[in-house]
Parts: sequence; structure tokens; C-alpha cells
Amino acid sequence: MNVSLFVTCLGDQFFADACADAVRLLRHVGAEVSFPLAQTCCGQPAYNSGHRDEALRMMKHTVDVFEDADYVVLPSGSCACMMRTLYPELAGSSPEDDPTAAETMRNATRELAARTYELSQFLATVVGVQHLGNGLDGQRVAYHHGCHALRELGVSSEPVALLRGAGARVMEWSADQECCGFGGTFSAKLPEVSAAMADHKLDTLPEVDVVTSADGGCLLQLSGRALRRSSDVPFRHLASLLWQGVTGTAESEGRT
Amino acid sequence: MSGNSSTFRPASYREASARTLRDTPEVRDSVGSATRTFDALRTKAYAEVDSDRWRDWAQDVKAHALTHLDEYLEQAEQSLVANGAHVHWASSADDVHRLLEAIVVEHEVRTVVKAKSMLSEELEVNAHLDTLGVRSVETDLGEYIIQLLGEPPSHIVGPAIHRSLEDCRALFHEELGTPMDADPDELAAAARAALRGDFLAADLGISGGNFVAADTGTIALIENEGNIRLTTSVPRIHVALVGIEKIVPRFEDLAGFLQLTARAATGQPIGLFVSLIQGPRRADEVDGPEEVHVVFVDNGRTALYEDDTAWEALRCVRCGACLNICPVYRQTGGHAYGWTYSGPIGAIIAPGLLGLDRALPLPHASSLCGACVDVCPVRIPIPELLVHWRERTVEEGRNSVGERLAMRSYAELAERPSAFSTAGEALRWTPWRAVGKALPVLSGWMQEREAPTPSPKSFRDLWREGIE
Amino acid sequence: MSAREQILASIRAARERRAQVDHPGRFGAWRPEPAPSPLHGFETMFTQAGGEVVHVSSSAQRDTWLREFLSGFDELSLGVGVPAEVAGLGPTPVPHGSEHTAPAGVAVARAAVAETGSLMMDARDGRRAQLLPPILVVLVDATTVHATLADALGAVRADLPAAIGLHSGPSKSADIGQVMVKGVHGPGRVIAVVAQAGLGAYRHASERPSERE
Repeated sequence: MNVSLFVTCLGDQFFADACADAVRLLRHVGAEVSFPLAQTCCGQPAYNSGHRDEALRMMKHTVDVFEDADYVVLPSGSCACMMRTLYPELAGSSPEDDPTAAETMRNATRELAARTYELSQFLATVVGVQHLGNGLDGQRVAYHHGCHALRELGVSSEPVALLRGAGARVMEWSADQECCGFGGTFSAKLPEVSAAMADHKLDTLPEVDVVTSADGGCLLQLSGRALRRSSDVPFRHLASLLWQGVTGTAESEGRT
Repeated sequence: MSGNSSTFRPASYREASARTLRDTPEVRDSVGSATRTFDALRTKAYAEVDSDRWRDWAQDVKAHALTHLDEYLEQAEQSLVANGAHVHWASSADDVHRLLEAIVVEHEVRTVVKAKSMLSEELEVNAHLDTLGVRSVETDLGEYIIQLLGEPPSHIVGPAIHRSLEDCRALFHEELGTPMDADPDELAAAARAALRGDFLAADLGISGGNFVAADTGTIALIENEGNIRLTTSVPRIHVALVGIEKIVPRFEDLAGFLQLTARAATGQPIGLFVSLIQGPRRADEVDGPEEVHVVFVDNGRTALYEDDTAWEALRCVRCGACLNICPVYRQTGGHAYGWTYSGPIGAIIAPGLLGLDRALPLPHASSLCGACVDVCPVRIPIPELLVHWRERTVEEGRNSVGERLAMRSYAELAERPSAFSTAGEALRWTPWRAVGKALPVLSGWMQEREAPTPSPKSFRDLWREGIE
Repeated sequence: MSAREQILASIRAARERRAQVDHPGRFGAWRPEPAPSPLHGFETMFTQAGGEVVHVSSSAQRDTWLREFLSGFDELSLGVGVPAEVAGLGPTPVPHGSEHTAPAGVAVARAAVAETGSLMMDARDGRRAQLLPPILVVLVDATTVHATLADALGAVRADLPAAIGLHSGPSKSADIGQVMVKGVHGPGRVIAVVAQAGLGAYRHASERPSERE
């Protein structure tokens, strides 16, 4: 099984260790992992802020980069959603001068969408893994559902089941499905409301050993706000936590 | 054709939302608790029925009505006229104001009772009646509270959800002389007693309209208090202000919309009182208004209709479900949005009704979390429409030059992998804590949060070194 | 151009670009649970919303209940359709136009709806009598209870008065600090007196579901 890893912009720069843990996890379940060096950004920041032309350019680049991949796996629900849900839409509604080229692009995005997965989604649905190890035995974990993973990809039980399978106690959290307030440029354009959204998440957080999510953007938002409020609860990417489930030890330290 | 009022100020959304959070944190508590309660009730009410099928049906009826809107408006007009009602058409708030003035003068109207109507808020009817020397009394309890406070509604369904019981106690103590420790029943009884006199004295009742059935010429109104039934039954004249998008083709269609709207709004099987009004009092009836005027209002709706993407927002039934589940709305309530319709639905209809220029930055007041589209009873693709207005903002060059240049450079970088990774490297080594506050995007981030710590090495480097 | 012409012209111009959507047909009940009998369904829904239901099986039983219940009031507002024998049961009727002075009232439902727990109130019975008394007794003929709201609307559409009210419980509001209160403007107490067939002077018997089917 050949897997091309798309680490995403945030993953490359802010969650490099978690991306490495994603490689370890994928190899652990028997995948041959490649990392196309030409990968850059999926284009979601441009798309979400209304810069359609720029989003299209980044989409085309990404489609080219992953043209030959059997599977594209991302340690991000949001970027996976961009590729699975929004690429075909973006390609479909942007007629080009050359109708043949437009049709080719539409087909390419549809094919790419069908081969693209968020990490836990890939592990649970394509590999069919239910149990990775017992390394999280007894750990109290809060799982934040990133909005795009939850609503666009329909990924919600997969990460929780994998965490539980590794022995974690995934704690009840009334706001676990409510948006953290990141929203890409939203967090910088309207920082006050965005921070209030994070506050609601943090205010309702149960007592846990670690907070995790499949999305780095959400983790930056929540941990950045928690730090500002002088909270010391650790935040770690799902990939790192799941790899800890396999090994029993944390390969990378929690980000605070 | 858009509203020409000067009191709507969506432009100050960021300042207004920040001010609400900073100066009146109790608003966030009240709004948060009310919206979460509403949403929990809606969830339960949807689960009791095949809500997917209900919503598919409602979406199709509305889409059908909107794609035949001219025909159904004409049919509704004919039916209403046949029922003895007067039908008027208004392009703008000014048209409505002129019409009301004519009615007020002709019938020597002194007192108006009003049933809760968001359209009348949009048209700023009360302020206009005030200039005519007419006393206009809001009769919905929530509307009554905010009228006494001199505030606009902060929610489509619960106009006073930003106010606590303590706020109401203080207000009623001052206005109606109730004790400071009065319980809600006593407060409601005091309001009932005060408003009962207004109902009996009023010459004119003004309502909105939730739906208009074209075939029978029926104005349907949903409520829980009974004030809409009284407003449309007791005074001599009744004026119903209805948006042109409120049409449904058939009388029996109301069966679906009355139930679905109630379930979406408050989780009820139906509003406790529904009015189905065909026209004025008939010869074999002992009471009811002698004159009924129905006003079909545009006020920017045709502008929305003309937009090939955003026209879908006209399916809206104003249930408020998208406000209730919206994590952005929940932080501030509706006042921060600066005009009548707040939350996700407000953000997608504002550019049509007010013009994009005046509506900004509302289409950006969303993290695009998508919770709204999951609950919308008529399946309006709200996040897509938000992105649509953001794209229009870029197309029309209404965003900042800095943002345009930054996005263009970013796209150029993204097409050149080596440059992209070099830029990423540079970004990682930027001493954000020191310089972040001076940078345009980062300053917003760092105002409320700590700067993120980049990984010691990028993943690219780790990959090159080999991952064990 | 008049506002009317302007509005219709804009719609017609833009409509050209819209794919026409067909009407999906009649609204169905579409519920996971099968509906109970209409009368049982009505009672369940109406009482859930805070309404009260009394069953009577003879005119004597009806009048006994009413006499007893109404004995606490000195005046009464009456709907036009209230049978004459009921009108004479006790309290003095107030004239039409003075319904707001009555501490209680009796009105007649044209029909009822199980799906929503609603009483269908016809303007010909008198709108003030349906709305102004704080306590309202509504006479319902058990044979006029429709299973669904669509059924009920279909049954009355051929003979619509100026207004129909669907009353599905007592008046309520949560506008004061999110606390539920009853009896804000409309009646705060509503009692449906459901009579077995033929006991009320109901004027719209031809709409009874059993006779239409």
C-alpha cells in the first residue's frame, strides 16, 4: 500500500514531530510512505477568504503533485476536506477558456478526492485498524472535533475509537463539537470573537491529561489561548497521541 | 432599492462585538444559555420526525415557489383581493412609510399595536410612526421589553434573549411599578395588564407574515403568546407587511411549514397560536378588522433574487436555528451585527438587502464551521454563500490592498516548492513574540493568544534526515 | 414604473436563469412512529403543551361538568356557536364586544388536529371570545379530530372565514429571562371538552373526517 503524505503548511512548520509520528503510524500498519517534496499548500486559506483565482492555482499545483499517488493522507481534517469536498466544487464551477482542460481538471479533482483521507479516517476505514496498542492506558483525553473533519468528512467516531482502542479514556466534553474559533484568517480578522469561542471550549473542558485533535490549526488556537489564560493543560496532535498508543512512550513532548 | 436607513451599521461589527465581550460579558452568558437551550430543543424535535424528508420537502416547495415567484405573487394578490383585502406593493422602506402615513391620516390612527415582525424592524416602522405622532406599542413580550429599553431585537425569534431576569425585574420595576423581587409570572401579568388596554384602544394592528399561501390568499402567522391573534383581530384595521419571498403555492403547504418552522425555531410541534388570515371581517362574523391591507415588500429582495448564487437565501423561514447553533453568534448575540438580521442568515442576506458595501464585514463574521447548514430547515448552503460574498468582495476590489497582495504572493510561492519551503523556514525563524504585534495578520492573533512555537526542525528536514 | 411592475419585472428577468423546480406534492406526516388514533393523538399533544382535556359522553355529562366548572365565575363570554342550552348554564353572558371583561369564556372548535394537538377556531365563532378571556373552555366534537394538519387544512379550505386560529395550548412566553410563564396575552388556561358524536351544535359537520373518507 503506497501512501503519499501531505503534511500541510501548518504541519510542516508547527507539527513536524506529529507528521513524523504520522509516518511511523502509517509504516506500522504496513504502508509504504512517500513524501512528495513539491507539495506546498492546498489553497484553503485563499478559498475561504474569497480569493478564488489563487485557490485555483494552488489546487492545480496540488493536483499535479499528487497525480500518481495511490492514497493521499493528511494529518489534518480541514485540508483533507479542501481536497475531498471543495476541489471538485472549485473545479466544477470555474469554466476555463479551454473546455477540454476544464473537464480534465474536474475529473482529476474527483479522482484525487476519492483517494484522499484524513489520517484517522484512513487508518480506520482503508486500513481497517481497530487497535493500535495500549500505550494510552488510563490517560484522560479530551478530543476536539475539527469542524471540517466532523461535518464535511463525517469523521467523528474514527479518531475517538482509535484513542479508546489504545486505552485512553476519552472524556465527556459538552463543547467537543463546537468550533474552537480558528477558522483560518477569521482568527486574525476578528480576534476578539475568535478568542471568546476558544474560551467557551476551555471553560467547558473537563479535567484531562491531554487535549487532542486531528487539526493543527485548532490546536494552535486552543493552546495559544490556553497559554494566554495561563492554563497548563497540554495539547498534542492526534498523530502523536496515536503513535504513543503504539509505543507506550511519547516520541515527542506535548506542545504547550 | 435597498434600505436607506442610517441606523444600520454592520461596518462596526468588530468594534461592537469586542465592546460587547469586554463591557457586557453577561450578554454572552444570557445568549449562550438561551441559544444552547433552543438548539437542544430543536435537536430533540428534529429527531421525533423524519426531519431529512421534511427539510427536503420544504426546500423543494420554496425553490418551486421562488422559481415561479412572479406567478404566485400575482395569484396571491388576486386571491387576497377576492377575499376583500387591499394589496399594496412596496419597493423600499420609503414606500411602506408613505403607505402607513396614508392609512394613519385617513383613519385618524392614534395608537398602533404591533405583532413581532422582523420586516417591520428592517423597515424601521416604529421610528416612522413616531414621526407621525402615532403611539406604536410592541406587544410580543420580548419586543415589549426591548422597546422599553430602546434597543433593537438581538435574535430573530427571541428578541430579548440578551437580557436576564434581573434586567427585566429592574426594567418593569421602573416602568410598571412591580416589586424588585417579582417573579416572572408577576412580571408577565403586569405586562399583560398594561398591553390589554392598548389592544382595546388601538385603531391599527401591524403584523408581519410568516407565509402567504397564493391559492387562498392566506397570511399565516406563528406565535406563542396570542398577541399576534389579538393584533390582527381586535383593531379596526390590520396591516400585514410581508416580504415577497414569503409565498408558498398552496394552502395545504402551510401544514408542513408551520410545523417545520416551529420545530426548527423552538423545538415545538407547532406555535401555540397560528393565525390564518384571508381578509377583513365578513358579513357573518361578529368581529375582526374592517380593513385588511397586505403589503408585498421588496426592499432589496429582488437584488438578492438577481444574484445567481445568493438567491437561495430567499428560502429562509426566519426560524433562527442557524443563530442558535452558530458559535460566533453565541458569543455576542445580535446587536454587534449592527442591523435587523444577525448570525449566519443575516450575514448572507445583508449584502443583498443593504448592498455589499454596507454589509461588510458580516460575510467574514464566520469561521465557516458549517454547523448552520446542518440545522437549516430549508437547507440553505450558508457557508457556500458566505464564501460567495467573500469572493464578490475580492472581485469588486473591496478588500484591502495588503490582503490582495499577500494572497497573490502566497499563491505564487505555493507554485514554487523550493521558494515555498524557504519562506516557511524564514517564517519559522521569525521571532514572532518580538515582532508579531507589528505585523498585520499576527497582531490580531497575538492580541488574544500566545504566538505559536514553530517546530525546531521542519518536517521536510526530519524527512531528509530519515524518520525511524 | 410602479413598485408592482418593477418587482415583477426584476423577478421575471432573473427567473430566466433559474432551473425550474417542481412542487414536491403534499406534505406527509413522515414520522418514525406510527400515529395513534386521532383522538388519542390530539389529547397527548394538547396536554403536552399545557392544555387540558375533559371527555364527556352525554349532553347531561357535558352540562354537569360545565355547570360545576363555571360556577366560580359571575360572567362569561360565549362563542357564537355555543349551544343555547350551554349558554344558560350559570354565569351571565357578556355581550359581544365586552369579552375582555369576562373572567372565563366558552367557545367552539370547528375541528381539531391530532398531529399538532391543535384546536381549529373559526372567526365566525367570534375572535374576541376565543382570545380575551383568561380561561377558555372549548367544545370539541370528537368526530372532527383530523389525523394531520394537512388533512384539516384540506377539509376547511373550501369554506374559509376571514381568519382561522390554531390554538395548541395556553399562551406562553419565555421572553423574561428564559423562564416559561403562562397566560401572557391569550388564555392562560385552555380546556378542551371533547364530546362524543352529535352532542354539540357544530356547524361544520360535513367536514368530519369520517364522512369525507
